[in-house]
Amino acid sequence: MSNKQFFLDRYSRLGWKYVPVKLKQAIRINTNNAKEADIIRRLESRRIKLEPIPFIPHAYWICESPFSVGATTEYLLGYYSIQEAAAQIPATLFTDLEDKMVLDVCAAPGGKTAQLADIMRNTGVIFALDIKKRRLTALSNHLERCHVKNTIVRHMDARHASHLKIKFDRILLDVPCSGNFATDKDWFRRRTIEDVQRNAKLQRQILTEAAGILRDDGEIVYSTCSLEPEENELNIDWAIKHFNVQAEPIVCYGETAGTEIFGKQLSSSVASCRRIWPGQTQGFFVCKLKKASG
Amino acid sequence: MKLDETLIVERQGRYFLLTPELKRLIPEDFFYAGTYLGKVRRGVFFPSFNLLAMIVERKEANKIIVDDKTEWLFIVGRDVFKRGILQVVGSRRKDAHTLVTNKRGECLGFGRILHNLDEGKGKPEVAAKNVSDVGDFLRRERRLEH
Repeated sequence: MSNKQFFLDRYSRLGWKYVPVKLKQAIRINTNNAKEADIIRRLESRRIKLEPIPFIPHAYWICESPFSVGATTEYLLGYYSIQEAAAQIPATLFTDLEDKMVLDVCAAPGGKTAQLADIMRNTGVIFALDIKKRRLTALSNHLERCHVKNTIVRHMDARHASHLKIKFDRILLDVPCSGNFATDKDWFRRRTIEDVQRNAKLQRQILTEAAGILRDDGEIVYSTCSLEPEENELNIDWAIKHFNVQAEPIVCYGETAGTEIFGKQLSSSVASCRRIWPGQTQGFFVCKLKKASG
Repeated sequence: MKLDETLIVERQGRYFLLTPELKRLIPEDFFYAGTYLGKVRRGVFFPSFNLLAMIVERKEANKIIVDDKTEWLFIVGRDVFKRGILQVVGSRRKDAHTLVTNKRGECLGFGRILHNLDEGKGKPEVAAKNVSDVGDFLRRERRLEH
């Protein structure tokens, strides 16, 4: 059996039939820096055709553009960011972000950090970490361009986040993952189940660290762009069983996650997670965990 | 935004303006924080675009306001030609540094005036040399990709 067939069989057992996907580029308006209607008018005057993304606020698909949308004055002034549609979902799932102490682990290249700052209206504090020093430069450029004011960037492995000695109200865990074929044309050739298992182990280490520095009543949003249950439903089931957290219902694009995966019965609250199969967006998985008081 | 000196921190020649909340939590080994103001290299201060955007709001700032075509050329690194200037605010002297803005007053970067702008005929077409423009964000992204 080919590698591709192996993974496609797994997706089929999860109830999805493979279709090739062509993704549309998407942007997100930084509403702290500009009025949305003004930016749309300005981009349309440059003959850029936009379509609102119905399931994400301030987000648009680029239907047509005579040039790169990453080269306009509006982009360079930080009025919008280029961010894949599904990748815009996690930051929108937190409740009450303003004035909160927020941790964004694995933050580079900074699209979600800038989005968090925009939602927070630059109040509170974001700690943005990344393990790769080289990627911190990209992250910092993104924050500078988007006029982010409330963020501290540090070179740190997410698994050592407790070294910060801070308890956080909100933690975004957009963890390193195996990715998916919609954003990588060589995905089926390059990826193996061993990669998936290795990533799942790393993700559990990061989840463990995050659970330890989350305040009571605090929220973790966990996301991956992987379609593999080991990195998604199975990890969340494991977190629910090991830490004082529950998966919270979320309202967002995607399908209800399964609670029976490859014959294994999971906690019923895993059904609160969302699995997004590639189509209008890339493949994605997202979940909100809430820590109980005490 | 005001430049409260007590909220400014320096790290490896780079200067940042913090919020009071950030100031309370800032670790010694941070990489980036708050609003980046600029860096000092070989004794010369290079302002960030955030700082330029703060300065452009001040009445006393030197400004050259340019037309749409010049805006487009300027952000790809080109100099400002005399025919693209809509208005000059403040100094018109040779060697003066001046902000370059578009018609909306948005700061695109800054340049150095190459000759007295009051002197008309016989002067070269290039009025201000591009020192720094917001297209640098794109150039930085490309450098990182490679």
